[in-house]
Amino acid sequence: MLSRVAESLYWMARYAERAEHGARLLRVRLEAMVEQGDIESSEGWRRTLYGLADISPEDPSADPRDITFRVGFDRMNLSSTMSAVVAARDNARQVREQISSEMWEHINKEYLRLTSLDFDWVWSGNPAQTFIDIGDGIWMFQGITHSTMRHGEGFDFIELGTYIERAQLVARLLDVYLSPAQDDGPKFAAPGYFDWINLLKQCTGFEAYCKVYTAQIAPRKIAEFLIFDPEFPHSVRFAVDKVQSALEQIAPGAPQTRRAACARMAGRLKAFVDFTSMDEIAAGGIQPFLASVLKQCEAIHGAVYESYITYGREEQAASQTQTQTQG
Amino acid sequence: MSTEDPVLSPEAIEPPDDEAAGGRFARPGIDEPFDAYVLDQTYDECFQANRWSRPHYAPLHELLSSLPVEEIQRRQLSCEQSFLHQGITFTVYGKDSSTEKIIPTDLLPRIITGKEWDEVERGLKQRIAALNLFLADIYGPGRAVKDGIIPAELVYGAKHFRKEMVGVEVPRGAYVSVCGTDLIRDEAGKFVVLEDNLRVPSGVSYMLANREVVRRAFPALFRSSRVRPIERYPQLLLETLRSLAPPGRENPRIVLMTPGVFNSAYYEHTFLARQMGIELVEGRDLVVQDGMVCMRTTSGLERVDVIYRRIDDDFIDPLVFRADSVLGVPGLFGCYAKGNVVIANAMGNGVADDKAVYAYVPALIKYYLGEDAILGNVETYLCREPKQLEYVLANLDKLVVKAVGESGGYGMLVGPHASAQERVEFGEKVKADPENYIAQPTISLSRAPCFIDGKFEARHIDLRPFILAGAETVVVPGGLTRVALRRGSLVVNSSQGGGSKDTWVLE
Repeated sequence: MLSRVAESLYWMARYAERAEHGARLLRVRLEAMVEQGDIESSEGWRRTLYGLADISPEDPSADPRDITFRVGFDRMNLSSTMSAVVAARDNARQVREQISSEMWEHINKEYLRLTSLDFDWVWSGNPAQTFIDIGDGIWMFQGITHSTMRHGEGFDFIELGTYIERAQLVARLLDVYLSPAQDDGPKFAAPGYFDWINLLKQCTGFEAYCKVYTAQIAPRKIAEFLIFDPEFPHSVRFAVDKVQSALEQIAPGAPQTRRAACARMAGRLKAFVDFTSMDEIAAGGIQPFLASVLKQCEAIHGAVYESYITYGREEQAASQTQTQTQG
Repeated sequence: MSTEDPVLSPEAIEPPDDEAAGGRFARPGIDEPFDAYVLDQTYDECFQANRWSRPHYAPLHELLSSLPVEEIQRRQLSCEQSFLHQGITFTVYGKDSSTEKIIPTDLLPRIITGKEWDEVERGLKQRIAALNLFLADIYGPGRAVKDGIIPAELVYGAKHFRKEMVGVEVPRGAYVSVCGTDLIRDEAGKFVVLEDNLRVPSGVSYMLANREVVRRAFPALFRSSRVRPIERYPQLLLETLRSLAPPGRENPRIVLMTPGVFNSAYYEHTFLARQMGIELVEGRDLVVQDGMVCMRTTSGLERVDVIYRRIDDDFIDPLVFRADSVLGVPGLFGCYAKGNVVIANAMGNGVADDKAVYAYVPALIKYYLGEDAILGNVETYLCREPKQLEYVLANLDKLVVKAVGESGGYGMLVGPHASAQERVEFGEKVKADPENYIAQPTISLSRAPCFIDGKFEARHIDLRPFILAGAETVVVPGGLTRVALRRGSLVVNSSQGGGSKDTWVLE
């Protein structure tokens, strides 16, 4: 598979996952806001913004409408949900002969639908519903991908992109709720009962959690569930396992040295998550654990680029200059 | 089909002319929804002078006379939606943002009889055979020039002549393996060649996309009309490319090379690559290693054998052609010249679709094949000849004047539609650089019915058939019919407000 194509598939999947995650966070926030007082609500917004890695979490405007526009709809803000949808579609467009027509037409239709929405109209109605629709649209895209595309190497790059993105997004969100306030970090009040429920909902995990632990809301159990549950698709461990198995499939024909670099890092991350216990985390602090997960994900991303996408570019550039000077 | 409807045609007593079996339903220029339809001395594809439809158009005419206009509107809308969703669009760049627009498609098919098509097809095959021999000749022995068939300066001084191609071996002599020839009908209704496109002709994806939507819009009519199929084009193209592969490569790797997602024909590139099941590559995906062209894959470098390129000559290889090209591949031409990779179409073909060389094509057909040209040319005045220049300058109001090296409808003057001032200004340009211009009489392209704002109106059209030449030469029946959607306009290029239609060649 062409390296450029692999790169576009990988980013298409990452942006789609990011868009779905953003839409879900906003939707939960908008629904919760209706039942909350001003202080609670503004604390909730700050958490959401931090969870979304919004570039300016201390934005002067605390007006929910302004925030929703900025992080949900503003195409000038490259980290908004809308920008993620546009970027997913643009990447799909660059490889549209590689993905199925069904995938392309679905993401293209979603793009056309969303970019024609008027924000004033969205806000005057039920804005949460708009974000439910965006999330559903992405889920459908992921489902169509599973059902219509060959599960070959291109699909593995899509899986890799989806789950590396998810591992990072979930780890970052957990950090907002579970890490103790630090001097240099943002200061959040200790989460209350509803905050914990919102966290589960923001990970689509409320029902799944209840099935495992009953409806007893205990922060430690929630942390255990969202980090370690091997069967829940939005747990860190689930995502890490998928990253590892996608990397095993990718580029079977590539030189062993290059494959080994990626496999080693993915294996290390998997072992790190598999063999750390909740007791250890409780003793050592959750923040260093989550920070390490994030760092290792970035290292895997870098290794994938070096092994499969940008390999040998410098040598080639050098040899081309040479040919040119000789010629 | 000639059953007369007494309500629709009270004057039906007049005898039909010799194309007697035509149909008479809603009369053009009289009955709704054909009341705005103009019939004059211009050849009309659908109607005869007596307002009867031609026999092969009668079933369509009957259908259009009976369907409610709202129903046709609904089908037109659903066709446009389908194009938009599939992303069959070209990009228009504005000042702050770019928008993707669909190329307007008119739902009403353009219909050609099988008998007439067979003759056209023979003419096209003859023409591409002669043009390939001509290219092999000018980049080889140069016989036609030595024998005085064509002036040397016209060939070797042409803007698109590529001296790098001299002496390069081209597999099967197929310099042109994918050709799009633009045909028009003259006032007598005869097909003539307007221009050859021998470099990177485009539009074939629209031909196939139009067929998809029109077959869906008129399923019963399509079925009963027995239309010749065109869906095999991608397979035929793949076979053509495969037949050009370097010897000894049993399973040649064929790729389609695109300038990238910002190219206006990008949709077509992705479409053809997907339909043929080959990789779509950009220049940055290819590297030259040990005299071979390779593509960069996740598993390492893999050799490429045939490149169907959709980028211009200038951009192929910055070491040989334009040094500032970022789209091309350094060293690619060297591999090609050695025969390690095949590039289709060959480089340097532009010399043979030059508008001045065009005037010599009938003579070239005679010279190389010993046959008379089956498809005629439009009469052409070469401004490089002083006498002809004099005539052109004196008759600017009657002529279409074109710059020799340009395409896409740019750099031309349509005399009868230009203002006096524009004619004077253009005349100065021609005088300053006569070798760069040719002129042709204004031919009123034939017209066909189009669905416009709830009515059927006549619009000018042309036809671009696609010819493939490899181990054998094949033409898919019909081609892309382009439409000048603005009333009275003769310019069909999509960059200038043109649209397109499905083309039906009947059995």
